[in-house]
Amino acid sequence: LVIQPGAGNNIIVNTNQRLNPVLECIRNIGKEFGDIVPDFQVGRTTCILFLSLRYHRLHPEYIHTRIEKLGRSYNLRILLIMCDVTEHQELIRELTKVCLINNLTVIVAWSNDEAGQYIATFKQFEHKPPDLIKERVDKDYDSLLRTALTSINKVNKTDVETLRTSLGSFADIAKASSDVLQTLPGFGQVKVKRIKDAFERPFRNKA
Amino acid sequence: MATPLLSFHKDILEQIHDPSTSDLLILARGLGLRRLICTLMKIYDSPRNLVLLVNATPEEETAIGEELGIIGCRKPGLRVVGYEMGKRDRQDLYKKGGLISVTSRILVVDMLQSDIPAELITGIIVLHAERVTALSLEAFIVRLYREKNTTGFLKAFSDQPEYITSGMSPLKNIMKELQLRTVHIYPRFHQSIKDTLENRKADVVELYQRLTEPMEAIHHAIVQCMTTTLSELKRSHTSLDLDDLTVESAYFKAFDAVVRRQLDPVWHKVGPKTKQLVNDLATLRRLLTYLLTYDALAFHEYLETLVASNTISVTGAARQNQSPWMLTDAANIIFQAAQRRCYTLSRKAADRPSAVIDLVNDEDAWDALDDMEGHIRRLTAKSPKSWIPNGMDPVLEELPKWDLLADVLQEIEGEIMRQESLSSYSRGSNTVLVMTSSARSSALVSDFLSEMDSDAPKGKRGRKMMEKKLRRYLYWKGGLARQKRDGKNQGPPEFSEPRASASNTPGSSTGLSEALMKKDKERAVRTANRRRIRGGAPSSSAPSKPKEGLRPELIVLDDCEEITTFLASQSASSLNDLSVPDGDFDILKGILASQLDPDFDTRYGLLAPQQTVVVRAYSDDSDDQVLAEIQPKFIVMLEPSLEFVRRIEVYRNSNPGLGVRVYFMVYQLSCEEHKYLAGLRREKESFERLIKERGSMLLPIYEDKSLGSKAGEQIIKTISSRLAGGRKELSTQISQVIVDMREFRSTLPSMLHASGVLVIPATLTVGDYVLTPDICVERKSIPDLISSFNSGRLYTQCELMSVHYKQPILLIEFEENKSFSLETVSETTKTYAKPSTKYPAKKSGTSAESERAPPSIQSKLVLLTLHFPRVRIIWSSSPYATTDVFKDLKINNSEPDPTRAIAIGAEEDPEAGAGVNAAAEELLRCLPGVTAKNSKYVMSKVGSVRQLCELSREEVQGILGVEPGNLCWDFMHRGERKRTR
Repeated sequence: LVIQPGAGNNIIVNTNQRLNPVLECIRNIGKEFGDIVPDFQVGRTTCILFLSLRYHRLHPEYIHTRIEKLGRSYNLRILLIMCDVTEHQELIRELTKVCLINNLTVIVAWSNDEAGQYIATFKQFEHKPPDLIKERVDKDYDSLLRTALTSINKVNKTDVETLRTSLGSFADIAKASSDVLQTLPGFGQVKVKRIKDAFERPFRNKA
Repeated sequence: MATPLLSFHKDILEQIHDPSTSDLLILARGLGLRRLICTLMKIYDSPRNLVLLVNATPEEETAIGEELGIIGCRKPGLRVVGYEMGKRDRQDLYKKGGLISVTSRILVVDMLQSDIPAELITGIIVLHAERVTALSLEAFIVRLYREKNTTGFLKAFSDQPEYITSGMSPLKNIMKELQLRTVHIYPRFHQSIKDTLENRKADVVELYQRLTEPMEAIHHAIVQCMTTTLSELKRSHTSLDLDDLTVESAYFKAFDAVVRRQLDPVWHKVGPKTKQLVNDLATLRRLLTYLLTYDALAFHEYLETLVASNTISVTGAARQNQSPWMLTDAANIIFQAAQRRCYTLSRKAADRPSAVIDLVNDEDAWDALDDMEGHIRRLTAKSPKSWIPNGMDPVLEELPKWDLLADVLQEIEGEIMRQESLSSYSRGSNTVLVMTSSARSSALVSDFLSEMDSDAPKGKRGRKMMEKKLRRYLYWKGGLARQKRDGKNQGPPEFSEPRASASNTPGSSTGLSEALMKKDKERAVRTANRRRIRGGAPSSSAPSKPKEGLRPELIVLDDCEEITTFLASQSASSLNDLSVPDGDFDILKGILASQLDPDFDTRYGLLAPQQTVVVRAYSDDSDDQVLAEIQPKFIVMLEPSLEFVRRIEVYRNSNPGLGVRVYFMVYQLSCEEHKYLAGLRREKESFERLIKERGSMLLPIYEDKSLGSKAGEQIIKTISSRLAGGRKELSTQISQVIVDMREFRSTLPSMLHASGVLVIPATLTVGDYVLTPDICVERKSIPDLISSFNSGRLYTQCELMSVHYKQPILLIEFEENKSFSLETVSETTKTYAKPSTKYPAKKSGTSAESERAPPSIQSKLVLLTLHFPRVRIIWSSSPYATTDVFKDLKINNSEPDPTRAIAIGAEEDPEAGAGVNAAAEELLRCLPGVTAKNSKYVMSKVGSVRQLCELSREEVQGILGVEPGNLCWDFMHRGERKRTR
């Protein structure tokens, strides 16, 4: 059974993953077994190696041979680490270094479900534009105002409501003096000072 | 005027003043810690000494500076280094010596860059020692300091023993981080303090006031809500040890910290419901204090705001996770009783809304209420005011303590007369000092006093003030309603007629001095001003309409409409009473600007000390100064305060021959009483624990780090260089990391330094850490990661890193002792209760569905790696782990070049290298039209966010471009009344 790599809409799974419980958790996307070097092929140029830390502790050499076999193929190479031990710090540190040298990107998952979700998402997002993580523009006024004002430390959404109903627009809030702010319910000295700092202190000092 | 030190002060100074020793002093609050520190600083003050004050808040800096001036340490006194001061100025200042207060972040950077001659520092004074931990900047400072300077002193101070109780050996940890060996503990029950203070005691009158019936009902209901919330919390986390969390402990702010500490290891796993519960507890606690200190109208107003903000979510839709307590019967009691304290709607009006909503069979409740309040209403019904809407009967309940205060003041007046008739000379002024818990309540009390009608029956004395407040409240309500009505009518009527300045009726009968009245007049003007601003509530904004349902706030919204219709039907002239014409606006602003510290100037500067009442809020040690200046014989403590009782003791004992009478007011059977007593107990217990720990403490011996560790490192380096194949030239250089200035707010630089890496501070445009010429790291904590995914900043940052570095790295740093995992999948399912949303983007045709559920952090991470295949990710469970990884990555790589790192990407930012106001930057970036790319340009064009707000549409377009400029300007000015046209 030889499959054209990355041609279809399915994730291609290496046969050696047949017993991996993660397979069960890859949902909402087609899977097929195929003869590939990595464990999962989730795109024309994207592949995933899967490693459980518990397994890695028993067979520390395993992952190195897999990486070696992978050679220089694929553009985005993911090492999906399943963090299923409590003493993970040393292991992850060492793997991070190995991956950096071999041009792999580490992704850590903490459960089979999460790992499955990662694998599925990689395939689903293969051709997705990055709008989701780019700056958003189409937001409504209320949530914009809320995000803006709550970016100031100590200001919560109740305070945003208070500010909006008692002062009005963003510019009005910017203009309000400390005395005025102080009289609003729920506004103490510290909060007022934070707000004033954000609005009125200069961005940069000319050093 | 400097008061003499008491004998226990002298004892303490004796113990700690020696500049060759380093000590930690823990003193009970209110016993004059600041005076001790100032005296100490005066001893050290000399141009040949360089003494640094670290960890002081800006307020403390000014207050300490002032106090130093008072005790005669003026030339040049304490100088303050802030972020506004340039690097060169700082260097000069350090060279000149003297007393200097520095922000920790700046000091760390200066020490790292050797801008400050560490070996020449005479000593460091650390305030708030209780907050020092292994990860804090102060610990970093001490390490840097001790590296180069072993002879200088280090004096640490704390007056918050309650903080030093968590963990195994908290005191030892602090001492270890500060590298101290001696600690002096002075609780209130220390023998020498007892001996001194119990010589002369003040004459204390304790007054226990009962709450009014509605207040009691609300109080009870709030406590009930807290109990429910707490048991809900316990139920959802049976595995955690939450048993010791009681409602009583929930009265304290420290409670939040305790809960968080318990939940921290699983905080990322707990659902939004739990987070909501923890927040609710804080809200409820706040409500308790507001109930006792806010007037009835303000309390009601706060409740309404709370409800309004709680029913809609961030996206504007009805919220999924409403605070559970808001749906309980008890909450209903809170909302209803709070309204009842303000006004009742008479039968005719009340009938209508109850037809629309059926609140829990409220007819009965109303009847019962009417019986209860009947006597009050009969009184009010006599003279209906024209501006009160039909069907509304103002109740305007007053806080019971106001009456009590009025009585007390009368008694004091009599007492003063009696003393004067005896004509025996006595020290001290006749000024009565009234202390309250917050600036807000002190403003309220002085309002009350100035408008008090002493002939009125009890509970009615502040009627005039309350009516004013009601009027303002109605106006606010009108604004709220307009806003809710989907902008149907475009804006409120225009107000242009001028009107006489606020009605400042002289309250001559109250016997207050003229200056005080002048001040009240100003305040009245200010209130009017505030009113004017409130009027500018957005009219065109379209928030989502409240959903129909069994929500208690519906009653609120309904009479909202009613009031608005009423307001609209009123003649223009009466509406004008509610606003101030535009012309006066600027003048008023001027007045406001000129009285930045009105309390101090008008009261201490101009008054003849005759029978005046000064109302102030409790603050910190500067209260001592107030007592010393006013020299009051009569003090009224409107709310209990442990510290202030001690301040009075100290004051009493530093002024022998002065008879002091204290009136101490507490609401009986309220949280206030409980809080006071429990606070006392907590402090005592923490002191006992500290003393116990000191007794059994094993202190490590500090080796001479500068010698020992370096030798050790040298050996390791030699070995490692051999392993690396004889590349000796590498080992000769200490490994170094370039760190962005902004990163000094985090703990990682300190950890890096502790592990022996040379930390080079610089202002970086690209990345946070540069490890090698090729490796650049952007650090994100989990909340950072989420927010910068949302704002799109991470995308831009990765873009920049990819352009300029071969090996861009995203470091995802979890917090120590917190769970090392992202939000779990199961939680996502729980939250949105739809199995399909577990996997955000479905194959095809389900785009609507995937839009509904916000994409998880995991899928965003996937998208990021897909678009930046070169970006590597480091998953680090704590700063300690990060340090190890960093060191790993640096092995066998050459060192980064600071000048190159700074230059990278800096061409876009003309002011690279200058100090940064991070909060303002953050706020700016949240505005629509401002992107990560153009924000730098904006910052070079305008000074602050406020300046940006003041620009015209055309000017904003000039900076941002036509389309984004439009967007930004509209956002900033939406909902403003068009007062220019």
